[in-house]
Amino acid sequence: MDMPLLCAVFAALSVTFYVLLDGFDLGVGALLLLQPHEKSRDHMVDSITPTWDGNETWLIMTGVTLLAAFPIAYGILMPALYIPIIVMLLSLGLRGVTFEFRSQMKSYRRRWDVIFAVGSIVAACMQGLILGALLQGVSVQGVTFSGSVLDCIRPFPALCALCVLAGYVVLGGCWLQFKATAQLHGFLGRTLRIALPLFMVSFFAVGGMSLFVQPGILAAWQNHPVLLGTLSCIVLLAAFILFGSIGKRPDVRPLIAGLVMIAAGIGGLAILVFPTIVPFRISIWDASSSRLSQIFLLTGAIVVTPVVLGYSFFAYWVFRGKTPEKGWDGYE
Amino acid sequence: MSLNPATLARVQFAFTVSFHIIFPTMSIGLAMFLAVIEGLWLKTRDGLYLEIYRFWQSIFAMGFGVGVVTGIVLSFEFGLGFAKFAQLAGPAIGPMIALEVLTSFFLEAGFLGIMLFGMNRVGPKLHFFATCMVALGTMLSASWILSANSWMQTPDGVAVHDGRLVVINWWHVVNNPSWLVRLPHMLSAAYLTSSFLVAGVGAWYLLQGKHLAFAKKSVALGTAFATVLIVGQVFIGDILYGTMLKHQPSKMQAAEGFWEKESASPAPYYWVIAPDQKEQRNRFALGIPYLGSIWLTHSLHGRVEGLKNTPRDAQPIMGMVFYGFRIMYGIAILMFAVATASLWLRWKRRLFTTKWFLRCLVTMTPSGILATLGGWYLAETGRQPWVIFGMLRTIDAVSPVPAQTLLATLIAFVCIYAFFMTAFLIFVARIIRRGPESASIHAEASGSLKNALRPQVLDRANANAAAGR
Repeated sequence: MDMPLLCAVFAALSVTFYVLLDGFDLGVGALLLLQPHEKSRDHMVDSITPTWDGNETWLIMTGVTLLAAFPIAYGILMPALYIPIIVMLLSLGLRGVTFEFRSQMKSYRRRWDVIFAVGSIVAACMQGLILGALLQGVSVQGVTFSGSVLDCIRPFPALCALCVLAGYVVLGGCWLQFKATAQLHGFLGRTLRIALPLFMVSFFAVGGMSLFVQPGILAAWQNHPVLLGTLSCIVLLAAFILFGSIGKRPDVRPLIAGLVMIAAGIGGLAILVFPTIVPFRISIWDASSSRLSQIFLLTGAIVVTPVVLGYSFFAYWVFRGKTPEKGWDGYE
Repeated sequence: MSLNPATLARVQFAFTVSFHIIFPTMSIGLAMFLAVIEGLWLKTRDGLYLEIYRFWQSIFAMGFGVGVVTGIVLSFEFGLGFAKFAQLAGPAIGPMIALEVLTSFFLEAGFLGIMLFGMNRVGPKLHFFATCMVALGTMLSASWILSANSWMQTPDGVAVHDGRLVVINWWHVVNNPSWLVRLPHMLSAAYLTSSFLVAGVGAWYLLQGKHLAFAKKSVALGTAFATVLIVGQVFIGDILYGTMLKHQPSKMQAAEGFWEKESASPAPYYWVIAPDQKEQRNRFALGIPYLGSIWLTHSLHGRVEGLKNTPRDAQPIMGMVFYGFRIMYGIAILMFAVATASLWLRWKRRLFTTKWFLRCLVTMTPSGILATLGGWYLAETGRQPWVIFGMLRTIDAVSPVPAQTLLATLIAFVCIYAFFMTAFLIFVARIIRRGPESASIHAEASGSLKNALRPQVLDRANANAAAGR
């Protein structure tokens, strides 16, 4: 059994779950900034309140999977991405705490909502910056990061930041069309019709620019032209379906299209960097932890992950259907 | 203390981890308390229990939220500040922390939503189950984290092959020599912390003459739990002392404030010292004669080991270890006194009317948190200069991140965490000012499991049906 490969698959799954699930949470947060009516903002936040915590857990899962299975990579990437990771963590922290406060302190709600939205936007941008820095490549000497902590603040990562933010806003809009009542649909239609084209343009701009900043990406395209081409087509096709179903029933269709679109994008990224874990520098086999460590991790993951997915689904199921406009407790 | 990366990385980690531990300590204890209260409510159907549940549930939720977001930071900080530590120790502690996330984090996150917002959707029985799952999640979480930290204190089950750590025996890594003693010690600390929180708030209301039924129940329950727990904690602490003396002698040598290889006989128990690490002596020491021998060696004339038994380059800084220990131990003695007093007053039927005792309880409200922090300072500063005891020095574990960056992020952490703490305290103060009565405006539990599982076809315009009733 090729343990490092299995661990890499699990890490990739964690990232995918994180982006798909917390993506719409962050997107909903960002959209608060554009929504002038307090009632509507409450409604938007209520739609993610019961499940956001579990969604964010996939981010921690990704981090600790790296630590457990690929400690060499973890020890190189964390210092390399020091600034965006810390800023992201602090933003997510602000956002998480604001979640609790806004429901308890009605008097300052406007202020909490601004913090909540800014936290979401900054966290999304930092994730884009991290993605860009990884694709651009980090400097490594042996098993130590040898670049500068400012390396990740360059034009290409900045473009990725815009792309990820737009993608999350699209997901957030799709989620709200699925979960929110009809009163929000006009606002969502207007937002999605701007955000989706913005995402598509930035997505393909990132794709084009990446060929110039990282020779490894060009090589990957030469190695898997059909696979990468197909995935790009899926992204395009899903985007068209999404655009066509904005504001139309069934309300779940844009969300499904949006999730497929983002998932295809992540699949493409995985193919670009495979089989490296410090992208284009160190392979998953060279960065591996001891064999027993990976077996321990995978055993836990194989036993527990289905259960986790099971009750995550159950939590979504309990809170299924449209979010009540009066909130979950049934009182204003 | 110069502003070099190693010092800054340590200060940053110490600050973020100290801030974090406050909240899990409360969450672990309060989750258990809430499960007990909801169980009592299901059994008796006494509305007072539901009132207590609602009151502490909101404080629990808030504290849990702060605990989660500060905990996420820690899972990345191993690599941010201590890349070399992460690269070496990852194979051993990584899987344990990963299992912690898998087993407990998801358990908490999955059921927390139901616990906080689902009373009207799933019915009381399933809701009680969700509360129990959250409590179990916090325990499992403590269990894995204590295992990982205990491995750093007393590493076992691994070998190092050409610079990389290889796990040889997982059972020895998880069940390392100190884990099974340190885990109950931490759990008891968390339960004690919440007992004093509950009793303190009850006492506050009694002194104010408000919410009397709620207050009496809180004081009665809080002091009862505390009495049982503090007795257990003293025994666990004593066993732990022996374990640590065996596996980490340098920590315990520093913790008692003695320098010479053997203390005088009988040994005093110091409460205040002014240690001089350079000269390897105390410039000043104040203690109670005989007590050191009695407590530490369980005899009248036993001698206690001093720090000179450990070579200088492997010594922790005595002052930090000693005072961490004294804060924890001093508070434990106070708790013991309060518990004894509560038994006496209970027997005299004056538990709810004795003013001085109620004031004591109010003062003791945050005592569990302070004691826990003291204990962790003893544990972590006593491990120095090692990050993995006897294997890797802290100084060799630091990330290649420049000092300015570390300083900037440290300032950011302090500012944002100060904001968290301020907001949390304001929030708790408001809850306490508002009092438990406000809980009664919540809808009565009216949902059922059947109702939660029934497919709902919702009319878009009329979605409020989902809110139950």
